[in-house]
Amino acid sequence: MVSKQFLVKRLLLLFPVLFGVATVVFAILHLSPGDPAVTIAGERASQEFINEVRGDLGLDDPLWQQYVRFLGDVAAFDFGQSYQIQRGTPVSQILANRLPITIELALLGEVAGLLFGLPLGILSAVRQDTLTDHLTRVGALSGISIPIYWSGPLLILLFAQFLGLLPTSGRIGSAYFVETQTGFILVDTLLAGNVAAFRSAVVHLALPVVVLGIYQMALISRMMRSSMVEVIRQDYMRTARAKGQGEKITIMKHGLRNAFIPVITVIGIQFGSLLGGAVLTETVFEINGIGTLLVDAISRSDYPVVQATVLVFAVLYTLVNLGVDVTYSVLDPRIEQ
Amino acid sequence: MSREADETSRRSFLKTAGGATVATASITSLAGCGGGGDDTEADDGGGDDTQTEADSGGGGGDTQTLRYGRGAHSSTLDPQNTTSGEVAKVTNQAYEGLIAFEPGEAALTESLATDWSVDGQSVSVTLREDVTFHDGTDFTADDFIATYRRFVDEEYEYYFEDASVYGPFTLGSWIDSIDAPGDYELSITLTQEYAPFLRNLAMFTAVVVSQDAIEGDTDLDEAMVGTGPFELETLDNSNNRIQLTAFDDYWGDAPNIDEVLFLTRGQNSTRAQALVEEELDIIDGLDPDSMQIVDGSDTAETRTATGINIGYMAFNLSRVEAFRDRRVRRAVSLAINTQTIVENIYSGIATQADQPIPPALFGHNEDISPYEHDPEQAQSLLEEAGYGDGFSFTLTTFQNPRGYNPAPLPTAETIRSNLQQVGIEVEIDDRQFSDYLTYTSEGRHDATLAGWFTDNADPDNFCYALMHPQVESPEGQDWIDWGTEGFNTGNNAAWANAEFMDLVDQAQQVSDEGERAELYQEASQIAHDEAPWVYIDYADEVRGVSTGVSNYVVAAIGGPYLKQVEVE
Repeated sequence: MVSKQFLVKRLLLLFPVLFGVATVVFAILHLSPGDPAVTIAGERASQEFINEVRGDLGLDDPLWQQYVRFLGDVAAFDFGQSYQIQRGTPVSQILANRLPITIELALLGEVAGLLFGLPLGILSAVRQDTLTDHLTRVGALSGISIPIYWSGPLLILLFAQFLGLLPTSGRIGSAYFVETQTGFILVDTLLAGNVAAFRSAVVHLALPVVVLGIYQMALISRMMRSSMVEVIRQDYMRTARAKGQGEKITIMKHGLRNAFIPVITVIGIQFGSLLGGAVLTETVFEINGIGTLLVDAISRSDYPVVQATVLVFAVLYTLVNLGVDVTYSVLDPRIEQ
Repeated sequence: MSREADETSRRSFLKTAGGATVATASITSLAGCGGGGDDTEADDGGGDDTQTEADSGGGGGDTQTLRYGRGAHSSTLDPQNTTSGEVAKVTNQAYEGLIAFEPGEAALTESLATDWSVDGQSVSVTLREDVTFHDGTDFTADDFIATYRRFVDEEYEYYFEDASVYGPFTLGSWIDSIDAPGDYELSITLTQEYAPFLRNLAMFTAVVVSQDAIEGDTDLDEAMVGTGPFELETLDNSNNRIQLTAFDDYWGDAPNIDEVLFLTRGQNSTRAQALVEEELDIIDGLDPDSMQIVDGSDTAETRTATGINIGYMAFNLSRVEAFRDRRVRRAVSLAINTQTIVENIYSGIATQADQPIPPALFGHNEDISPYEHDPEQAQSLLEEAGYGDGFSFTLTTFQNPRGYNPAPLPTAETIRSNLQQVGIEVEIDDRQFSDYLTYTSEGRHDATLAGWFTDNADPDNFCYALMHPQVESPEGQDWIDWGTEGFNTGNNAAWANAEFMDLVDQAQQVSDEGERAELYQEASQIAHDEAPWVYIDYADEVRGVSTGVSNYVVAAIGGPYLKQVEVE
């Protein structure tokens, strides 16, 4: 089992990581061209007005002062207010609205990847070097090779524009207004008891989830296959078979659990890249999660939003990896920290 | 997500893929739509589904919904917190000013004011009675005063710290004092005679907000408390959409539709496709490609109106010595083939420009015609000016299309190749818009592609805002140093022609429109001849409109006017 000491140590490590990320983001933003004061003030503004805005935002203070103030605010969980995306709204509130959207998408993508990836990987391993195996492997290779910004528009073209079966963008039909309770559209529509809205959300999320899931599925099935192939050859598997245990039970009970460990690593690491993938998917499908938020904020010089969003990405990534480490030791108690 | 839900997803997917028509479902929008049971027919199978219309099965109300598609969501609902036209599209439905523009025209008409008169620096306004705000309070002169003070008066307890530049730009700089002699009368004293003032009152940013809302705890970024024909029902930032419903106590004719949805589709082609597939009723922000999608369909059409804008290239006289010679500027104007740019690159959704004031405005000089493309004459002018061997400069441009310049990079490329023919080497410096704004506002450009949409449909908004340095012109030269204290950086040519400035100053202080028009025509002639800009285009206003929509007027200023629109 996981020791408390390990958990505390890992959680404490989060601080230097976040400090590093915060510093890098701050530096990149302030080194990049474009002055938020000019963007906020707009084309009509006089230099005097721009200077006033700059002064109000503290952007004319020396950089080190801005940096210290930024770190102090972050330490107090104060991310400031949005300059542009939602003028004057606290960034924490914007993130609280947007984060569930991305998490829902990433989770659905992961579930879709697991749902198809695991069985395909196992099947491929058990039927090694058969036609099924070859087909699965070719499929997986293609899945890994196709980038989201290509598969997304392609699927939109096919299912939305050519066949007209699925919507091109958004996550719910325009006429459905459902009260936000959890931020997860599928859950909220169900909580509201609105079946039609739920169905609309499912239809809207189908394409983005498939796009995200394809890559996950491909990766998981490849990993599962190679891991399983190795485990199948282990002595304990032979022993189990020799004791007369059925093939199915041997594979599912002894094989799967051991083969799972490297797959968990991949799932964990990939969940991070899934968040990255969500940035692309959200942009392609015009879904309003933290991916599109980040892209919008960068292009509109909305410093507070960019800083907070990147930090949230860093926290999520670190926590997911911590979760992966914890899962290891549950699956294989021999792994000690 | 549970396995069960995923099963549902797959079932649903397979069902739609099988071509089955998905069941019709009646839902009631949670967001209210009072009166209960606004039945909505939803077809989940086709795209962004919902076609809101009467439920033939009887029962609830007969909701007429108009779905307006645009490229970006509102960053706020507070008209005093933005300079964005995107925000104005929504706030114009819920708020009203004292004066309004005639739909589709630049002429002024009554709104919350029924009468007004200007006498020198005094403006008297009679207000409409029996007008109610969305919060149920009555509209009086105090509401306008509170609105004005929130925008510009730092002494006011409820002064809005984040007020946009429109505060000083449209009202603050021109108003000396405001009094209310009666509940329905306003007496405004101006700081100087200023003819465009009434037009400023018609701008989206000068609309009247309820005093109760201003002085209460209403968050005006997320609520709208105006007197307009529609009121806010739902602001859904998670899905980039806004739902407005008809305001029952509206003082004028009730809207023909019950509900307006502002929906966001970032990509032009996606938006056009959604219109064609009847998921949207009206869209804006069309480029030539998306216009083709719309025009190629039998469910929608494009409609255009002459825009009140200009796209141009400004020479920075403060920075490049060669540009201080009028002959060089004229030579460049002759060498650049603006006709090709407008016809081929902008695909005919713009007309060739020849002066700063667009044709839709008074003061536009009909006698002026665009510079002909004439490289030979350009070459001889350059030789005459001592630049026969050419010179080089950097052309700064924004990267993404803007209304007045649908293709900035191809435009810059054309300019580069045109000028190469007369020996001028151009290096293109393309920047992201916010960076571009910073860079040009600091005067670091040699020359820049630029453009402007009118704020108030007044020629002053082009001549004074973009070509006047707004400080004294230096003796004996027609340009100004960028670093001059108080210099108007909107004048990105740093042009300071005393004669032009004098005409524009005079036109600000004359109230007779005919007389003003003559002054601007004269100023336009100078601006054309002196060529501080290469005049490129006046872009059309283009909308995609579903064939089921009637009574929609494409407007270059104000609007969109949705109150009178009808949806089949």
